[in-house]
Amino acid sequence: MRTALTVLGVIIGVASVVIMVSLGIGLNQLMLEMYSSYGDMTTISIFSNARYSDSGSDSDPMYLTDEVMEQFKHLDHVTGVSPMLSCYALFKQGVYETSIDITGVSQEYLEKIPLGQGQAPKEGDPMKLIYGNSVIQWFRNSKTGKGYWDTMELPDVDFMDKPMFVIFDMDAYYQSQGGGENAPKPPKKYMVETAGVVEGGVDDYNSYAYSVYTEIEGLKAQLKKIFKKKPIPNQPTNKKGKPYPYFIYDNAVVFVDDMANVTEVQKVINDMGYQANSQMEWIEQSQQTYDIIQLVLGGIGAISLFVAAIGIANTMMMSIYERTKEIGVIKVLGCDMGNIRNMFLMESGFIGFLGGVIGLMISFGVSYAMNNFLGLGQAMMGVEGDISRIPLWLAASGVVFAVFVGMAAGFFPSLRAMKLSPLAAIRNE
Amino acid sequence: MGEGKKTDALEDKVCQGSDSDPLKKRTPIIEVKNLYKIYKVGETKVYALGGVDFTMYRGEFCAIVGPSGSGKSTLLNMLAGLEKPSKGEIVIDKVHIEKMKENELVAFRRKRVGFIFQSYNLLKTLNAVENVALPLSFRGMPRKKRNEIARKYLKLVGLEKQMDHMANAMSGGQQQRVGIARALAVKPRIIFADEPTGNLDSKTTMEILKLMRKIVREQEQTLVMVTHDNHLASYADRQFHIVDGKIFKIEECHHHQEEEIEG
Ligand SMILES: Nc1ncnc2c1ncn2[C@@H]1O[C@H](COP(=O)(O)OP(=O)(O)OP(=O)(O)O)[C@@H](O)[C@H]1O
Ligand SMILES: [Mg+2]
Repeated sequence: MRTALTVLGVIIGVASVVIMVSLGIGLNQLMLEMYSSYGDMTTISIFSNARYSDSGSDSDPMYLTDEVMEQFKHLDHVTGVSPMLSCYALFKQGVYETSIDITGVSQEYLEKIPLGQGQAPKEGDPMKLIYGNSVIQWFRNSKTGKGYWDTMELPDVDFMDKPMFVIFDMDAYYQSQGGGENAPKPPKKYMVETAGVVEGGVDDYNSYAYSVYTEIEGLKAQLKKIFKKKPIPNQPTNKKGKPYPYFIYDNAVVFVDDMANVTEVQKVINDMGYQANSQMEWIEQSQQTYDIIQLVLGGIGAISLFVAAIGIANTMMMSIYERTKEIGVIKVLGCDMGNIRNMFLMESGFIGFLGGVIGLMISFGVSYAMNNFLGLGQAMMGVEGDISRIPLWLAASGVVFAVFVGMAAGFFPSLRAMKLSPLAAIRNE
Repeated sequence: MGEGKKTDALEDKVCQGSDSDPLKKRTPIIEVKNLYKIYKVGETKVYALGGVDFTMYRGEFCAIVGPSGSGKSTLLNMLAGLEKPSKGEIVIDKVHIEKMKENELVAFRRKRVGFIFQSYNLLKTLNAVENVALPLSFRGMPRKKRNEIARKYLKLVGLEKQMDHMANAMSGGQQQRVGIARALAVKPRIIFADEPTGNLDSKTTMEILKLMRKIVREQEQTLVMVTHDNHLASYADRQFHIVDGKIFKIEECHHHQEEEIEG
């Protein structure tokens, strides 16, 4: 009975430690999931300071060019590089139209985009587009001038099965729309095939949701073809106002092999003189906060385990007190002192083990209940997911720790048992 | 002592005040020299033992007799290494035990000493066989072998039928027989018994006493028994009379072997 109560103490102690730590882990991972939904955590975005604020120096500004991409590619831990080049274009299907950026990215980048429909274009394919799952919201009816945001009705645009027409030369387009008699002919419309649409519903946010992507080499070729000798919009010019003979990218992304190396690579790129950003910065900051939360939660649990340890020590003392005579007898009969100590250590260790195992089972139950019935994850983080997570290492170390606490609590009582005088056995009461 | 009359014939013996027997060549097994035990109670010193010298021999049945508080138990406990002497030497089987550390003493008891308690001190959670086998288990003997030996000794003390009884499901006399079997099972050189019959009626007392003497004789073991009863002491080969922590006299008794065994 007394042992059962002691075990109960350990059960509560272990369960509270495990649950508290599992909450800490859950919060931390929820946060990671939240960030990863904003974008891949192993990518670093790079901007050039020179892109918009032209410095007065004589040397060429630090533009992001193919040459620079090549440098990035050879950095340690970098698995891939994608330049990003965007061009503003008009999309038309039936009465619906919208103007939005097309972003040219590398083949590698395209293949990372999770598609709900269609397939990523293969290398060497003609220019094909990947639409974000929310892009459809931008389209408006050119007759009524009303769009999704006015009517809250999804425009009747079909990326996959109906042809989409794209106008790249926006200047020419505006001039033609300007009205008047000498308005020029509207520029040429191109029919561009759709490769796929990003995974997710119209309202599901992800980092690709509102963009249109295409393979960058195809885009570059297309732009050269359209603008010929004219300067390509958005491309900077040199001191004499002439465009450069090569493309200058708005920004770029670098893929890193592991989350752990992101910060390091980011630093190298920053030192090269570019502006590098990644999710890791934010994660590291919040990670520190969550580490503290976890420490506090674990501490609360540890207190109850500590109380349980005192309970074990007390039970062991009582049990040794009760068995003084028995201990004396076996000592007179020649039982090794070490054996006596081990006997009690085993007993208290077993109390710890039993409490640990049952406590762990209860933790799993509570954790399951919190995850499935309370929806705490949603409430606290605004992300769907399990708020309490018990990884294998936590389960294992929970039990090991309980055994350890049991043995530690039983250590001094067992030393006492070992040192008990055998005379106690002989004394008659 | 109404029952005692039957055994009167046994007391046909010769008791002498001397402590030497020139007829037998005897090997000493316990040698005690100038042994003191002083308890400090507050400021005052209690001389539980005040300078004791004697020798006990192999195969001997020795009784330590004396009034209550004379220091009998104190002496026995020191001989068995349960208590440290304040001064003096105890040599058992040529080994000085007064200098031993506690774990050495435990090992010493495990190897050479059997102990019979006044209050039996069987472990309640074990049955007769397991109780007897317990000290064998401390020697690391495998279970099958030690249970076999335990059964053999239980048979020897006449408990064939009670082998599987739990310790507290037995009468005092039966429990003490288990206690004796437990002391004998390890085949010790010396068996110490502190008032082994103190809690038993006189009939059972005689049975137990004779049983102990018979077995010890057969196996050439030394039995040291503490008692405050002069009559019981007279069954021993030698009686060590203690008064106030000093040996008052050593009495030697010669018994007629045949009659003893009959009884
Ligand atoms: N732990 C102790 N502390 C103080 N004095 C003690 C202690 N143990 C024994 N004594 C004293 O030592 C003396 C001898 O005690 P001991 O137990 O040896 O007597 P005994 O001859 O066995 O008596 P009994 O026949 O009543 O068992 C007694 O005066 C007792 O009060
Ligand atoms: Mg006594």
